[in-house]
Order: sequence, then C-alpha cells, then structure tokens
Amino acid sequence: MFEVTQVGSWPRSRELLAALRRKQSGAIGAVEFDAVAKPEIAACVRSQVDAGADLIVDGEIGRDSFYSFVTEKLDGTKLMSLAEMLDTVEDKASFEEMLATLDVPASAIKNPTCVGRLKRREPLTIGELHHLRTLTDKPVKITLPGPYLLTRSMWVGQFSKAGYESKLEMGEDVVRILREELKELAAAGCEFVQFDEPVLTEIVMSDENDRRTFM
Amino acid sequence: MEGIEGPRIGLHVCRGNWSRDESVLLSGDYAPLTNAFSAMKVDQFVLEHSTPRAGEIDIVGRALGDREIGLGVVNPRTAIVETPDEIVRRVEEALPFFAPERIFLNPDCGFGCFANRCVNDADTAAAKTRSMAEAARILRSRHG
Repeated sequence: MFEVTQVGSWPRSRELLAALRRKQSGAIGAVEFDAVAKPEIAACVRSQVDAGADLIVDGEIGRDSFYSFVTEKLDGTKLMSLAEMLDTVEDKASFEEMLATLDVPASAIKNPTCVGRLKRREPLTIGELHHLRTLTDKPVKITLPGPYLLTRSMWVGQFSKAGYESKLEMGEDVVRILREELKELAAAGCEFVQFDEPVLTEIVMSDENDRRTFM
Repeated sequence: MEGIEGPRIGLHVCRGNWSRDESVLLSGDYAPLTNAFSAMKVDQFVLEHSTPRAGEIDIVGRALGDREIGLGVVNPRTAIVETPDEIVRRVEEALPFFAPERIFLNPDCGFGCFANRCVNDADTAAAKTRSMAEAARILRSRHG
C-alpha cells in the first residue's frame, strides 16, 4: 500500500542532451549514444532506489520525448521539429501564436510524423525493460504513449497520406502496434505498463478542440 | 487490453507538463472524463492532485473508487520540495474514496517529458521522491 513510483521521465544531463542531438543529426550511432545514456539511466535508478521508491522507471532517459521516440522503432515515421511542421499548417500565424501563448519552443519539441505504412522495426520498450532489469530487483513500470496521443500527433495529412487513406485507418495500425508491444511486455513479466494520454484533457478543457496543437 | 493478462495497466492523464508557467497549462477537474475512464479496462488512473488546477479529489474518488489511483502528490515543475506532512495530507484527502492498498504515490507528471524542455533537475527529483517515500512510511504506520 502507498507504493511510491514515478510517472515516467527523469531530468537529463547536458551531456545526455548533447549526445541526443548528435544521434539525431546522425553524427553518432546507437552504440555511442548508449555509452552516454546507460550510466545516466543507472544513476537515475540508483536515485529512486536510494530515495525509497517501490516501483522503478528508467526515466525515459534514452527517449527524445515520452511519445516521439517511437520514430526510432517504427518504419513509416519521421521525427520532425515543430518548426519543420509549420510548413504544413494552413494557418501559420495562429499556429505560431498558439506555440508562443502556450510557451512551447518550436525548435525543441519534436513530432513523430507518419510518412508511410507503420511497421514495428523493433519493440518500442522491451529494450528498456531488459536494461532496467539489470539495474534493479524491484518491480518496474514501463510507459507507452497511448493510442489517442499517437494517432493524433502522428497524423499530418500531407505526409501521412503516403501510407494511409485516413487518420482512422492509421489509428488501427497504431492500436495493433501497441497491442503487440503490450503482449510482449506481459510475456516478459513487466509489473506495470502505463499508457500516457495527456491530450485527453485538451479535448475537454480547451475551447479549440479542432485546432492542431503541438502534440 | 482484451485478452492480455499480467501487468497492472495504468492510464496517465494530465493537463500539460511542458512549461513551468502554471498559467499556460490547462486547468479544470476530471469530471468531463470520468465516464470515459469508468468504461476503460484500466487498473490504475495516474492523475494530478498536487495543484489547484487538478480540481477536487472527490470527483475522481466518487467515480473511480473501485480502481487504483496513482495520486499526483508532488509538482514536477517546482524547485520547492513538498514536505512529507504536506504529502500525507494530500493522500489522506483521497482515503475516504480509495482503500490504502489502492493508492500509489507519484508526481503529477514526469520530471522531464521533453528532452530539450526538462521541467526540473535530478537533485530536486530525487528530493521529491525521498519526501514521497517518507510520507508513505507515515501513511503505512497510520493506515496500514
């Protein structure tokens, strides 16, 4: 009772952020990135264990964000900065105004845009789970972006129509991919799988439900 | 979720975690979502409860008392570390609705959801986690 855990992410160091940028630009590969990320994940796990947490996370240290990281694992996707996506928005002025009003930096936040048929090239989080098991004997939590968040953010019509007729059709593949992942996490004995759906509040709490936001 | 057994399944829904400026984040209670939540095959709802923006606990408590709650008891965006006593008080607000074994303690959201827009530093995240663990010890001794 009263188990202590995290929602998912942990702050990353400057070194990690620099390595992430170099990986995203293609200057370094996964092996070089992992050499920076793994000690940082170990430190994150140690902090939680030392603090007395009951269910441990890996801090999403290796991810660009809690949902955009899927571009590294899925065919048919491309990581795009919001600045790049600005070209696709019909009403650029109001999109820019929304970003400014919400205090969202267009260059720092990236979107996992669907640019073709979606296919799991490798599992989204099984690697994180296996690595986490090497660092702690405590139960662990793995986070996955929810199907609504992924479908909503990944669909950018002018790119996504290369793979799908409609957002609904793409969404069915998103659900299929998440189910495959959940089954594998269950088979691997993961104690807790959390789906993140932050945008659900946007639907009910914002007056402008139809607008394209940054997620 | 159909046909998948094993892991505890959680759903995290918050109001935004990209800025330390509380006024630009969404505000409002979970009332418009509780019907949808009730219909979901989810064991635990991981929700905000550390700021007034999250609304009152009785709204989710009345609707979802048969589930587990991952109660947001620290603000991931502030430098001030909540004391164990403050956290204990927040959790005890949920006790009329959720049995102790159905309550988990967590921050409102992640400490750094976007790599390039971290909302906190690692030392503060660790200190807030220590406060939660101390609060859990107090709660277990009182309500265990």
